[in-house]
Amino acid sequence: MTRRKLTVLLVANRGEIALRIIRTARAMGLRTVAVYSAADARSTHVAAADDARLIGPAQPAQSYLNIAAIIEAARDTGADAIHPGYGFLSERPEFARAVEDAGIIFVGPRADVMAQLGDKVAARKLAIASGVPVVPGIETAEPEAAREFAAREGYPIVVKAAAGGGGRGMRVVESAALLDAALEGAAREALAAFGDGRIFVEKYLARPRHVEVQFLGDEHGNIVTMGERDCSIQRRHQKILEESPAPGLGEATRDAMLAAATRLARAAGYTNAGTAEFLVDRDQFYFLEVNARLQVEHPITEIRFGCDLVAEQIKIARGEKITAPGAPRGYALECRINAEDAAAGFRPATGTVLELRVPAGPGVRFDTHLTRGSEVGAFYDGLLGKVITHGASREQARCRMAGALGELAILGVTNTAGFLRDVVASAAFARAELSTRFIEEHFPAWPREDRAETEAALIAAALTVAGALGADSSFNAAANASGAPADHSPWVALRGFELWRRSS
Amino acid sequence: MKLKSGGREFEVEIIAREGRAIRARVEGREILATIDALGDSSAILSLGERRFRLLGARRKDAILVAVGPRTFDFVPAESAARRAHGGLAAAEVTAPMPGKILKVLVKDGDLVSAGQPLVVIEAMKMETALAAESDAIVKRVRVAPGDTIDHGAVLVELSPAPVASAPQSGREDR
Repeated sequence: MTRRKLTVLLVANRGEIALRIIRTARAMGLRTVAVYSAADARSTHVAAADDARLIGPAQPAQSYLNIAAIIEAARDTGADAIHPGYGFLSERPEFARAVEDAGIIFVGPRADVMAQLGDKVAARKLAIASGVPVVPGIETAEPEAAREFAAREGYPIVVKAAAGGGGRGMRVVESAALLDAALEGAAREALAAFGDGRIFVEKYLARPRHVEVQFLGDEHGNIVTMGERDCSIQRRHQKILEESPAPGLGEATRDAMLAAATRLARAAGYTNAGTAEFLVDRDQFYFLEVNARLQVEHPITEIRFGCDLVAEQIKIARGEKITAPGAPRGYALECRINAEDAAAGFRPATGTVLELRVPAGPGVRFDTHLTRGSEVGAFYDGLLGKVITHGASREQARCRMAGALGELAILGVTNTAGFLRDVVASAAFARAELSTRFIEEHFPAWPREDRAETEAALIAAALTVAGALGADSSFNAAANASGAPADHSPWVALRGFELWRRSS
Repeated sequence: MKLKSGGREFEVEIIAREGRAIRARVEGREILATIDALGDSSAILSLGERRFRLLGARRKDAILVAVGPRTFDFVPAESAARRAHGGLAAAEVTAPMPGKILKVLVKDGDLVSAGQPLVVIEAMKMETALAAESDAIVKRVRVAPGDTIDHGAVLVELSPAPVASAPQSGREDR
């Protein structure tokens, strides 16, 4: 069945996804190679791999986006395949092409397929040709054409980068007066982020849901879909909470979306894992874009379908046929824990992880690369980890998520765990009132004052200060009274802990 | 003491503690709590019906506390005054709780280094050594062994160490 030798896999990524891919590859008996920047020399993914190569300094442009250095690392380590993960080079056709040209297997779609789907305008044409509904829109950098379009369809409209994805360069324009500035800003951001300043203008749907379809394609012409994911809960047009199946989505709409994704993937000649994203407005759905890679939120599909999507990707890359997925079971949720201050407009945060408490229990999975002492810098995406829960019902998965987020504590890097716990626990989320405007409508301000929480924190802080005044102080005695070894408690004298800091 | 977090300033004092029991004043309100420090740098703090699982750590001037998944970064408001004292972490060493002076380890004019114990007090059936938070000169010792002291009483006055290279702070840099 295997048509191609694939025994050494290089993972061209970092963070939780690099670790997650390495785990699957190792379980499949492959040898694994990590690449890392100077800033990541002591990262978990480097420690987890069988071999590792430094590919450049901390700046992504010179390391994780450095195609030549990555291919050199692959040659040097005898890697016969490269998995790009998500982000970084995962959707750069020039990378897929360079890998193919080097005689190395790229674990993803072919470069030409990626190029077509990565271009929003070309992808849209393909969707229209495949009978997949699209949101009315045009590609233009001309204010005049954009104004005409807006006059025809009515404000608000969306202005975004024609290349790339992930909400970068995206702007909602409420009136004609704001159009010129939005076009200029979006072009500038698109050029900076993707090296391509082309702009796309489309009608803005006021309260849509974001629903996407996971699909797999093999070299034998088989395309299968693996259900949908609702990713409506977003901040700054980027997903923070995903679930599967999409609550309240009609059976007919779901079937139509799965069929549309299949037609699109077939028309593109798609191989490997991909996702078709749609906006859903009641029963109407519109094609948004294809993400020609593994998605951050892929675990909720894995949990429902009892599969390993990275393993499927590797099998497809070896030239094997897809095995038809079984029937999905239950409901799954994912919360992305980001290094951001939810109380300050999701401002990015950095720091060193001083303490870490991770969730566990039935139906709980936590994908993270963090350990105590991990550095979270400003160079990379601030995804710290993903909490994934599974339940027989949505309510069970939701309650498990609330519990898991209650257990999670990351000290030293401001993060969104507390915010997401409140979102998951909210009545609006329990009722599945999902739209891409959920956060602005239901959580315009956070935190909601919880006086007892603040009081508990203040008392603990005051005791810590008191403890720091002397070597044998109050918290020490508290530890002794409860029979715990006093030396291990940083509430008293934090010397062990300082050692950790010092080693960094 | 005054603690700052997220642009807000809070006032908190530990009035007394007896074993696990804590009496504190938070924002002018008196609160009873119980605390159990666990071995893994976490603690359980109970306030009335609610029970919080805490994690704590120090980072330079900040005290970090996680109450469940929500985290607080507290900076003692006093630390901002440190620079005004010429590198002194505090110009006075005060009693963290009511008690009795057991030992006085320094005398007026002594040069002390950060972390050096100055006074040992007995409070709530425990001995507690109070140390200098930064290098300093002992300006005046205001207590003697056997004295009964109230919470907040000034025990020792300090003045800045003579060298210009006063260290940033005491214990957290060790």
